[in-house]
Amino acid sequence: MTSRTSTTSSFLECERKSLDRMKRFQLPNSFKKIGIGLAMFSFVLLFTNAFLWEMIELKWMAKYGLLGGMLLISISKDEIEDELIAKLRMQSYTFAFIAVVLFTLAQPFINYLVDFMVQDGEAVFKDMGDFQILWFLLSVQVFYFLYLKKLYR
Amino acid sequence: MKNRLKIERAILDLTQEDLAKKIGVSRQTINSIEKNRYVPSTLLALKLSAIFRKTVNELFELEEED
Repeated sequence: MTSRTSTTSSFLECERKSLDRMKRFQLPNSFKKIGIGLAMFSFVLLFTNAFLWEMIELKWMAKYGLLGGMLLISISKDEIEDELIAKLRMQSYTFAFIAVVLFTLAQPFINYLVDFMVQDGEAVFKDMGDFQILWFLLSVQVFYFLYLKKLYR
Repeated sequence: MKNRLKIERAILDLTQEDLAKKIGVSRQTINSIEKNRYVPSTLLALKLSAIFRKTVNELFELEEED
């Protein structure tokens, strides 16, 4: 009985340690600049493609580039990553999570209502796409984090 | 929570930047603690107490609403 309890507690301890290591996972600060560059390039590419070439492959690449760039910005460390920054980062993730859930729930209804009013009662209920949700999640987190840092400056 | 960080820093003639470097945080963190916008962790409070050679209770004081 005692040996089973000790095996369980050592397993839980091991699990806790590996989860703690994952919690601390962040990229070095230099990745932030790479992320900004990639996101800006992809953003310009997305708009240029929409107006000039209208290539589906390019649109797909630009969307992935934009999300990848935003993710790099989101998970790379600040120049000095101390406990205040960690607290603000956590606050921004919490805010972004709640905002995205609310936005995802509300957006289809808003779209439906707008369509209903504009198209004389001929509206179709549409869900949000993966890209829209992820883009909103990452931008809310990144910009809210910047806003919080400005408040604590 | 009130704190005497600014006073103790003035006694040792340290800037926010100097103190921040000594304990490995940003100047903004020191500024936020001094202005009571941020309550530091026990670890940071102990580091500050070591720098100023004061106990944590001498540096930080609870207020009515805490």
